[in-house]
Amino acid sequence: MNETALQAVAVHKRYRLGRQEIPVLRGVDLAVARGETVALLGASGAGKSTLLHVLGLLDAPSAGEIRFDGRRVDDLPVRERAALRHRHVGFVFQFYHLIPELTALQNVLLAQMMAISPLAYWRVRKQARADAEAMLERVGLQDRLRHRPTELSGGERQRVAIARALMASPQALLADEPTGNLDSHTAAGVCELLFDIQRQRGLALLLVTHDEGLARRCHRTVRMKDGVVER
Amino acid sequence: MIDAFSPYVAWRYLLTRRINLLAVGGVMFAVWAILLVDSVFTGFVSQIRSDVRASACDLMVTELPHDASYEALRAAIEADADVVATAPRLRHHGMLQQVRVRAGSARNQGSSQVDFDHTANGFALLIGIDPAREEAIGGLRQWLVRGPEELAQRYPGDFWPSPALDETDAGRKGRLAMPDADEWRARRRAGLAHEPDVANQRGAWPGVLLGWQRIRRLGWFARSEPFDVVCASFTGGDGDAVLHTHSARVGFAGVFATGSRAADEGMALLPIETLRTMLGHDAADPGSVDVVTDVAVRLRPGLGAAAVAAAGARLRDRVNAALPPGSPSCLVADWEQQNVTFLSAVAHEQGMMQFVLFVVMLVAAFVIYATLHMMVVQKVKDIGILAAIGGSPRSVGAVFLLGGLAVALFGTALGLGVGVLSAANLNAANEWMYANFQLELFPRRLFDLREVPCRLEPSWAATVAVGAIALAVVVAAVPARKAARMNPVLCLAHE
Repeated sequence: MNETALQAVAVHKRYRLGRQEIPVLRGVDLAVARGETVALLGASGAGKSTLLHVLGLLDAPSAGEIRFDGRRVDDLPVRERAALRHRHVGFVFQFYHLIPELTALQNVLLAQMMAISPLAYWRVRKQARADAEAMLERVGLQDRLRHRPTELSGGERQRVAIARALMASPQALLADEPTGNLDSHTAAGVCELLFDIQRQRGLALLLVTHDEGLARRCHRTVRMKDGVVER
Repeated sequence: MIDAFSPYVAWRYLLTRRINLLAVGGVMFAVWAILLVDSVFTGFVSQIRSDVRASACDLMVTELPHDASYEALRAAIEADADVVATAPRLRHHGMLQQVRVRAGSARNQGSSQVDFDHTANGFALLIGIDPAREEAIGGLRQWLVRGPEELAQRYPGDFWPSPALDETDAGRKGRLAMPDADEWRARRRAGLAHEPDVANQRGAWPGVLLGWQRIRRLGWFARSEPFDVVCASFTGGDGDAVLHTHSARVGFAGVFATGSRAADEGMALLPIETLRTMLGHDAADPGSVDVVTDVAVRLRPGLGAAAVAAAGARLRDRVNAALPPGSPSCLVADWEQQNVTFLSAVAHEQGMMQFVLFVVMLVAAFVIYATLHMMVVQKVKDIGILAAIGGSPRSVGAVFLLGGLAVALFGTALGLGVGVLSAANLNAANEWMYANFQLELFPRRLFDLREVPCRLEPSWAATVAVGAIALAVVVAAVPARKAARMNPVLCLAHE
């Protein structure tokens, strides 16, 4: 559990609103090790989601560094960052963010189509499909493969999103209030699944939540306030 | 290099968004319209060019001095190795008036009023020809075969072929004379002086050949129908010009069709000696000149454009040398130069039409742009999702670029298919439309054609297809670029 999977070093993030510059992250230092679960708590606007996006290379820091396995990655070219985002981290969002035109299977399969050429994918398409079906079976959706997101419940959608996040075998999962949109019973099931998979795969899990109970299940809790990590 | 998800997502978007059918339909319609309309226009142009070519000689020596003598020029021109034959021509504007002594005796007698009761005016471009020599130039015999055919296809009646060129007597052939009995009957029909016995009638009228378009407008087709031919000229330099009119009576000797509407409507062919005499160059007069305004030239068959141009240059030098000293240089024009204004106008029309069709294609391209732009706006969240799971900006943009490409490919393929089918079955479809709905998309009668000429050039079809696809890709690149440059975090937060 000592190997650092994700690390933010003195990360600043500022947004520009007209002529005004709004600091959202102000020198954040955070490291998440392999197999470690970290809950990120804080009020709305504290910078939790922004930190998650910056750590997952979805957004660039204004200053500071992002490191994957100890290697600085925020200064890589955009295409390499995209490939790294695909291989190294998996995102799970509060609102699932599934593509409505695709079935559950196709949404999961989509993750197999990243960072691979159409021709290369064509050669491995059968294996990719089998893997996606196995992953959906793992999250308990073997009977919902051909259902579109609108035909699935909230919990089922989140399970599809988890399956998609895991398809590329990432080393870290970044979950932004994964149960925030679910009822307590469904949320408990999704959490169980998330922690179960995290344990099995030894993933680094950074969990943004407002739920203190959920936070207590993590190895560590980090609180943020006004763009800084509270000590 | 793009990721595998780009074509996959693009395809899914196309299948699930019916608005894309609108874009496919727009491209299809544009490609179809461009192919079909241009095919018809190319067919028309091709037909026009072949008709114009058929009505023109290989080379025409023109812009000669007013007293140019044919015999002098003929010797100079026919000395060229590439020249096969020559024919003299004498051009003059004039009028033709049917002689209707019985039917029209009460009409306009002593009146200066213009007769407006029918649309056919008598103005004509009189061309004096030597029938035997003209036949050697080529074309005339074929024109005389086609003339009755054109009328027979449109109207019931006995449209007899002209016997003028089959006359064995060289003198009668030179006068385009009709059989004596025909003239006798025409004289009797018109109430003109004639022998009591047909056997004693000796033909006096030279013949005149008229284009089928003029005959159609005049509405008759009687052998040796008499005409008065009138032409006028001015004399006098310093003071008031004096108008001289010259007239001759001629008999209708047949109908021709050159294929050129202007010629078939406005041209009248009559013996060159008749026209020379009318213009004061009677062959019987001492000192008269076998005057010509043009000399038609037939070249050796199989000469290429360069050889024809070289022959033209040589002939110009030869003719200029044969002309009296101080004469202005003549012009030697090939068939395209003889009709340069008309052919330029046709080419200009085709260019304008292609521009209009290009605008149709632009509209189709705009539909693609609007569809894809709308898709980008509606799919902002998807753009964020694709980026979050590892899609590079280029591959995200490629989703929309490939969408545009697919729309263009489908639309173009359908447009090509429908365009080729339409072109192949245009006349059948035209007939069917007319039979069922009295609607004629391409009215043949307007252009006096037996069927709508349609010529689909494979190179043009390929150009249209490549152009349509390229244009679609260019317009699709704009929304694709927009998608690629979007901030994924803002996209995910988009509501």
